[in-house]
Formats: sequence, C-alpha cells, structure tokens
Amino acid sequence: MMLNGIKVGVFSQSVLDEIIDPNSDRIFVLIQQNGGNDGLNMIIPIDQYQNLSNARSNILIPENQIIKLTEETGVHPSMPGFKELYDQGVVNIIQNVGYPNQNRSHFRSTDIWNTGSAAQEVLATGWIGRYLDSIHSGFPEGYPNETFPHPVAITLGPTVSETCQGIAANFSLAINDPNSLAMIPGTVGEELPDNPYGWELTFLRQILSQTNEYAEILSDVAEIGTNVSPLYPEVGANRLADQLRTVAQLISGGLQTRIYVVNINGFDTHANQTSATDPTTGQHANLLSQLSEAVHAFMDDLQRQGLDQRVIAATRSEFGRKIVSNGSFGTDHGNAAPLLVFGTCVNPGMTGENPTIVSQVDPADGVEMKIDFRNVFGSILIDWLGASEGTVRTIFSNNFTHLPIISACSVTPTSEVTEPIITVRAYPNPFLDNLSVQFKTPGGHARISLIDASGQQVALLADKTFGAGEYTVEYLVPDLPPGTYYYQFVNGDFTKTQSLLHF
Amino acid sequence: MLRRSMYSPTKEDIDDAVAEGLDNIIDRLLQANPLPELPINYYYDADPYTPVGKSWVNNPIPRADNSNTIRRSRIRSVVAWTMGLGLEEGVSIREKMTLFWHNHFVTGDERDPNFVYKNISLYRQNFLGNFRNLTKQTTIDPAMLRYLNGNQNTRFKPNENYARELLELFTIGKGPTVGEGDYTHYTEQDVVAVAKVLTGWRDRGYLYRPGGQLPGSYFTRNRHDASTKKLSHRFGEVEIADMGDQEYSHLLDIIFEQEEVARFIARKIYRWFVYYEIDDVIEKNIIYPLADILRKNDYEMYPMVEALLKSQHFYDSYAMGSLIKNPWDFLIASVNQLQLDLGQNIQRKYELWLRISNLSELLQMSYYTPPNVAGWKAYYQEPLYYRTWINSTTLSLRFLLTNLLVYGVDTDRERIEADVLGMIENLEGANEPVALIDELVALLLPEEITEDQKTYLKSILLPGLPDYEWTVEYNEYLANPNNRELKTAVENRLKGMISGMMSLPEYQLS
Repeated sequence: MMLNGIKVGVFSQSVLDEIIDPNSDRIFVLIQQNGGNDGLNMIIPIDQYQNLSNARSNILIPENQIIKLTEETGVHPSMPGFKELYDQGVVNIIQNVGYPNQNRSHFRSTDIWNTGSAAQEVLATGWIGRYLDSIHSGFPEGYPNETFPHPVAITLGPTVSETCQGIAANFSLAINDPNSLAMIPGTVGEELPDNPYGWELTFLRQILSQTNEYAEILSDVAEIGTNVSPLYPEVGANRLADQLRTVAQLISGGLQTRIYVVNINGFDTHANQTSATDPTTGQHANLLSQLSEAVHAFMDDLQRQGLDQRVIAATRSEFGRKIVSNGSFGTDHGNAAPLLVFGTCVNPGMTGENPTIVSQVDPADGVEMKIDFRNVFGSILIDWLGASEGTVRTIFSNNFTHLPIISACSVTPTSEVTEPIITVRAYPNPFLDNLSVQFKTPGGHARISLIDASGQQVALLADKTFGAGEYTVEYLVPDLPPGTYYYQFVNGDFTKTQSLLHF
Repeated sequence: MLRRSMYSPTKEDIDDAVAEGLDNIIDRLLQANPLPELPINYYYDADPYTPVGKSWVNNPIPRADNSNTIRRSRIRSVVAWTMGLGLEEGVSIREKMTLFWHNHFVTGDERDPNFVYKNISLYRQNFLGNFRNLTKQTTIDPAMLRYLNGNQNTRFKPNENYARELLELFTIGKGPTVGEGDYTHYTEQDVVAVAKVLTGWRDRGYLYRPGGQLPGSYFTRNRHDASTKKLSHRFGEVEIADMGDQEYSHLLDIIFEQEEVARFIARKIYRWFVYYEIDDVIEKNIIYPLADILRKNDYEMYPMVEALLKSQHFYDSYAMGSLIKNPWDFLIASVNQLQLDLGQNIQRKYELWLRISNLSELLQMSYYTPPNVAGWKAYYQEPLYYRTWINSTTLSLRFLLTNLLVYGVDTDRERIEADVLGMIENLEGANEPVALIDELVALLLPEEITEDQKTYLKSILLPGLPDYEWTVEYNEYLANPNNRELKTAVENRLKGMISGMMSLPEYQLS
C-alpha cells in the first residue's frame, strides 16, 4: 500500500495507526435494495393495522408477531438485529421516501434514483458521480495519485454503480468477488483452452489486471484489515453480509475510499413474497432477514474496531410496492417506501410519520411520497461528506430542503468540509471539440492555457481579470492531434495544472 | 470467418453467409468490386485546382504561400478516405488486403498526396493480383523510389537501400546467416548486384504547374549501370546483362523462380489472417501447400487466399479467435458494430473519418506511416507479434473508446452515439435477456463465453431483477417507441451491458 509515496505494507499495525488518523475520513455506504422493496412489510405502521389487513390480508404479518419499535411502528419479525440497532440509537427511519410523479418501471425508476433526476428529466451522470466530479476534477486522468492513492468509490459486485457515473468516467471500481477481491469477471477463474485463442486471451487478461492500478493497493489493505464481529453469518450464506464484511475489512485496513455501494437483489416480489401458509416467512422475509443480519454485523464490527463514527450507511430501492397485495401472495410496483439510515452519527429515531392507509384502498395505489429522496441524500452530502448547500443544489435541483438526519458527531471535520476558495475543473476528459473550464474565484487576474505534451502552449483560453464568482470558459478546440494535453489555471498565487486526453 | 477476413461484418452479412453457404460467401468476399470514388477536397476552399467536394487526384499543387496547407489538406483527405472505405466496405476482403500490401511493401512519410494515392491504389487494384507483377510495379513506384532511395540509385553512386529490402522484406526474406554475408536465401553479393540492376529510376517530384506531367516514375539511361551483374550461388550465379528499363523486370523474374518467395509471402498471409506462430507442423501442412498453390498459379494471389479461407485449418478451433485486432480494425469494427451514424453529408463524413483515423494513431497505428520499412511490429516482431498492440495504456484507451462510443460523443456539431436499440432490433431474441446476450456474444465476440460471464452481463442488464422484467420493459418500449423515458430506460440498461461486453478482453480478439 502506498501512502504519500511510502510503501507501508511492511510496517506494523501500530505504525499504521500513527499514519492514518482514524477520524480523518468519513465514509458513506449505499445499500441498494434492487427490485422495489415492500416498505409496508418492513417498517410496519401498527397504527394502520386494521386498514392494512383489509388491503393485504394474505401477506400481512400477524400483529402479535411484529417486533415493536414504538407503540405505533414495528418491524418485520425477521429483523431482530435491526431492532437492536434501533434501540442502540444508531438508526434513522425515514418514512415515505420517493419522488414526485413516481415511475413504476424498474429501469426508469432506477435511472431516477441513480441520477437523482426529476421524474421527467433524463440525466447522464449519477448523483454521487456529480458530487465526486465537484471534488475530483479531471478524473480519471492522473488517478491514482499521491493525494488520492485509493479508489474514489467502490462497488461491491460485478459492475460499477451508475450512481457513481461522473462526466468522464465512472468513479467506482467494481470488486466482483468480495472474498478474493478479484476484479471484473472474465479476467480470472476458468481455465482457458490450450490454443492461440486461449494464449492470447491469457495475455490480454494479464494486461488487464496490470491495468487495474488499484489491485495491489486493495490486496495490501485487505491483508491489514480485519473483521472482528461474531455476528457475521458464514461466508456465502448472506451475500449482503459478505459485501459489508469486505467493506468493513477495507475500512479497517485503512482504505481511504469514501464511497461504497453494495447490493441486495430480489425485492421484486410479485409472487410468493410470503409463503402461503405463514406470512412471516417467504422470499421477502429472507431478504429482510439478510438485510438486518448484515447491517447488524457490519455495525457491530465497526463499533468493536472503533470505526463506527466514520461510517454512515443508507438503503434505497427504486420504489415501494402497492398497498393492496395481489392474489399470488405478492405485491406489485408501487410508490414510496421507508429508507433506512444507519450510523453512530445519525439522529436516532424516525423522520416523518407512518403512512396513512385508508379503509378502502384503491388497488392501484402505492404509499404516498412525503419525502423526496434527493433531500435525504443531499442532507447526507452536506452533513456527512461536507458538500456545500450550493453544490447539492447543483447536483439535485434548487428545490432542495435540508433534513436533520445526521447528528453533530464528535468526528473531526475533514479538510473538505471547508471548501477551497478557488476551485477549477476542466471537462469533458477526454475532450473532443469542446473543452470547458469551470472555476470559482474570489476575483483577480486569471489565465487559462492549454499546453501540449512537449510543453508548448497551444491555446490561451482566458487571460483577464474576473470579479468574484463562478465562471465557465468554453473553448472550441481547433484541429489538434490526439494525445495528452495539460490545462493550466493561474489565479493570483493559485496554480493548477492537470492533464487531459484529446481524441 | 468473416470477422477475420473483412472489417466488421454485420448481423445481416453473417446471416447471408449462413444462407448462401460458406463457399459462396467466400467467392463474394474475394471478388473485385468496382473501385471506390476518388478522395475529395473536403474542406479547404483555397485550393485553386480543386473546389471543395471535388477530387484532387492528379491535380497539381501551386507554388504559393498556401502550398503546404493544400498539400496537408490532401493528405488528410486520403487518410480520411481510407478510413471511410474500411467503414463502408461491406462484404469484401479488399480493404484488409490493401492494408496487407501496405504493410508488406511499406512506404511512409510521403509528402506528396498524389504519390500516396497512386501507391495505395496499386495495392487496392491488385488486392488479390499477381504478386510478381505487384512487386515489379512497386519497384518503380514513385513513392517507393523516394522512400527507399531508389531515386538516388545511380551507376555513379549506387544506393543499396531498396535492393536490400527487396530481398530481405519484400520477396525472399532473410534466412539464417550461414556464412559471411550469406543469409541462406541471398548474399551480400546479391544486394550489390540487385542495386546495380535497379539503377537509373527516378520519380517525378511535386507538380507545381497545371499541364505538367502526372506523378510517376521514369528511367534515365545515363544513370543506369550497364555492366553485367552476377548474382550469387543462391540464384545459380546467373548473369544479368544490360536490359535498360526492362532489367528490373527480368531481375524479379529471376528472384521469383525461387520457391522461398512463395513461402515467404504465404507465411505473411498466414500471420495476417490466422496466427503468428508458425511451427514445423504449420510450415509443412499449411505454408508449403499454400506456397505450392501460389507457384502453380504463377504467383496469382487469389487462388492461394481462396484456398486458405476454404481450408479446414481456417475453421479449426486452433485458428479461431486468435487475432488481436489492430487499431484500424478495432475502430472500424467498433464503430460499425455500434451502428454509429456518421450522417450523410460527405464533407462531414470525411471529418469524422479523419477523427477515427486519429484515434488509430493514438492506439499506435497510423495508416501511411508504418513505424519502419518492415511494417507494423505486430506482424513480424518475435516474440510478441500481435501483442505489441496491447499494453496497459492502449488497453485502457480501447476500453475508454468503446465506452465513449457506446455512451455517445459530443462533437462541435452533433452528438454521435451508438444505436444500441438498432443493434438488437433484428435479433430474434431481443426481448429475452438470455437469448439477447447469446446473440450479441455471437455477433461481437470471437468465441462463446462462460456462463459466469453471461451472468455478469445479465446482471448489468437486469440488476437484481428477474429475466421477464427485460421482456416487459423492452416490449413496452416497442409498443411506445416515441416515449423518450421508456426508450432511455431500456437503452441505458442495454448500453451498460454492451459496454460491459466490449470491455471483456475477448472483444480484442477476432
């Protein structure tokens, strides 16, 4: 592992502790419940029980088996671990989360949750990606580097998270196999035929693994990191727990990655959500049990290692399900659902009220949206990751409303909480015909130039005095040969030079 | 077969191939289609002899302040045009063979666009023509005379550059050194003698005035060495008396009598279309028979290439999927497979074609500028061969590029973007994820992939959702093709999956 250019893999744990300030970086873990989670069957509004039993009698948990959190609200009986976390005060349940004009298509609604767009808006980047773009301008060119030697974001699973899609590249590195930290499938594993195809493919795979500059860092960090909670199930028994265990291990090992995305699939419970004979068992019960068990063990692990004040985790699903169940012991695509936020630094309890279930529910109805998910994640970006409200308004929309989800925790704020006075980024990278340089300045003379690989200035994009504010300089690229270029931004004493790729 | 012998066959081409039968499609692949339109001036409006939209071929370059700009605009044009020919070729081996010859009879750094055009046209016109005739024409081709100093080879001051490469790289090849100056197939004595035979040829330089002579070459008797030249024992110590401007042709007839010439070019064809490693078994069972066919047919290339493409060996699992695509091939395949729409405006198309050729340069292959006289290392340099194309930088760039093409590129005028829905609309199983992935694998990848890999691809298409969700959403899009949200939603899933497929290392092979 490289830290400030020093190979630290050979040092003892105690030396590492001195190098890595355990309070220096806050981590956000996004838990994606894919398929559309039936929130009513997870966080159960006991005060609506009568009307719920009219609407979904064939799948409803018997009232006496609901685990009570409060007098009015309970949780599915397969989630005792969650109940424990709730009682510890490390959970905030955010009720009725969704977005206006709910789209019930999996694909479209997933796009909306990924991008943070409005229902009718189509965006190409993810909301985490846009946040990361605001910090890591020019990514991926020049990464990893001394300041950011580790992956900016990690997705546990075979594919990068679209939530982390930035302007030029996806910020997340996909770690396919949580146990071996192996990269993209098709690069490891199966035996290849002993013929030219197999030989050339073996070669390509070798180069591919070299291409992944983070591979060595990850394996070093994984070696140092540990898991100490006895609550984890056996490896292979709970895929979410496996993923979170890896996340805890990487955090414990000192990985400076601040965003992790994990996945639990299978929430699209149109049929057999519950077993026909016992509504407390079935597919959904299993999923909730896995969720509860995984998060419980993960939190326990972090607490035991003294890492819990650095981590916030939140769930999300593309939609809730209809209030009225169907005839197949299942539920169809609906609207809002509760979103769970975990961490020692959350404001414990509940945000928002139980949903109201009327006595005669229209079979088409889902739970009504009360809290926009963008306000949830925007508040986490501000209070946890240190984004400014202005940045969050740019990432989502100007309608942002802050929610008090995160408490004032004892963690030392990171340097990124205080936003730099001068910021600059150039995009897209790689660039083609158009290059934009966006910067924020307290004012003064600014000079932006484009320099080729030999150090020759090929263009002067700006060279004048600016008042305080944010600017974007657009540059129509002339006929330049493809290759690596640098842009240099000079504003008073501030200079930034960064490489860009031109196609 | 198509993937290895032409650029980017489409789903339709492959279906046609299956319907027509292999022999028929090979005949079609090898046939001589009409020659392409000439390259045009696509942007420079200050070329006094060539209006924008018209061809500059055989037009002079004026002596003027902007003569260099005119020259460069034409060089760009010929590069762009060559990329366009590859992209729009359809079922034909011609462009791949043209590049084969360009890589074999290397010229480079040619400043005169007419010479470049004339040189490449020689190979395009004779893409499966007579190897001996092609070598003869190459020997006095003006671009070649300039590239290897044939135009400076005189009786007063012989220049051996071309003579050496003619023997070492273009015809018979250098064998093991078995004695001082003896390379098994020829000797230093032959280099000296051949250089003398070839004295007297000159190119016609830049044309600055209208009405001047067309670009070409000519023979100057008083520069020619009229003495009798004697070849080594490797050529039976044959003597060549003065034959003036026919002497080079006579010399090549002598060289081409050697069996090794046919083997030499057969190996090169094998490395171009099959695989780089040639062991004793391949040498005896494939190369020798191919060479025999070539000689039996008086060095006509068509029968030999036809025999290779129709051979059992070509379809043996040993020979499948073993070529790492060169950058030119990789780009043409990617752009066409993704059905990128470059529009209808011919001038704009040239601009975009040039862009695509520039990308090839970034991936370490510039058409008309091979790295040296031996051509691109991928086809001769032991032990890496094709692998020279791939390193961590170029491989990352290839991934970046396919990803960029899939997700779209904003140029100053338009957005160019893969038509992923168009890619699948004619697939039988488009609305069923397993079948869809199977069909796309068959279209984009050289070999079947593992179930794990397919599961991975499906997990991109359908993150955590059951298979029928694809069917539901895709059918809904088909029923409402103008609904932008439905379309984007389906498209996004598909783009992710296709990008994932093109990021498998398997995609680099054909």
